[in-house]
Amino acid sequence: MSDRVKDLATLQDLELQIREAKDPATKEKEESLGFVIQGLEKLEAKRDQLLAKIPSADLRHYQRIRRRHERAVVLVIDKICHGCFQTLPTSRTRTVSDRGPLPTCESCGRILLWL
Amino acid sequence: MTAEEFLSYFSADRFIKSLRARSKDGVLTEMARVLAGDGDIRDPDLLLEMIRRRESLGSTGLGQGVAIPHGRSTAATQTKVVFARSPRGVDFEAMDGEPCHIFFLIVAPYDDRRQEYLPLLGKIVETVNAEPIRERIKDAESFESFQDAVREAFSE
Repeated sequence: MSDRVKDLATLQDLELQIREAKDPATKEKEESLGFVIQGLEKLEAKRDQLLAKIPSADLRHYQRIRRRHERAVVLVIDKICHGCFQTLPTSRTRTVSDRGPLPTCESCGRILLWL
Repeated sequence: MTAEEFLSYFSADRFIKSLRARSKDGVLTEMARVLAGDGDIRDPDLLLEMIRRRESLGSTGLGQGVAIPHGRSTAATQTKVVFARSPRGVDFEAMDGEPCHIFFLIVAPYDDRRQEYLPLLGKIVETVNAEPIRERIKDAESFESFQDAVREAFSE
């Protein structure tokens, strides 16, 4: 897997995890079950560290997609984009270089993550 | 949720009779690897990072020997549970300070269309809160024994 895409997937997980931890309904549900959610600033600091590591062009691309979709990075399984569930062209490969454009779905524009 | 619906999140392949790990992080790693070996999550790194971050917000060791690490991940395609036992017990920084003996690792995708993650989490907590069932689950040396204990819990 490309480290570039993996870093963006980690960032996405972090951002969604922070949002969920801040969501009053989720927090209330978890606390009612006996779980503790505190110290969100630790996750926010990790997010900031990661943001500093990601190339600015990749970050702009990711943020542009996240304005349109909840998830900018989606899995590819059996050549299907798990954002829009369209089949990718057979010519599409999982190779991602250290430079150049990120792999995206031609149908929905989301960044593709092969695992 | 019926017993069979509940059990559909588990599998014999994701049943760990006796954890090798003796530390909290070791437990998380061992369980994440089992989940990754299941095929849906081929790279456990993203998953492990997410679980560790969740633990940094507060241990999911609920006390009474039970821990339920959980969270959502981009690397997940379906909601799944790994169940593990540790007869010797592991310090999981549980709220009562006691070692944990039974562990449920729940991982769900963000795209949780059936909205099953939080209800499942609640059902697991409810199930292990009943002491006789908790003890039967703790003693379950096979997946079949675990299933029997769950079915008994749902029949009461």
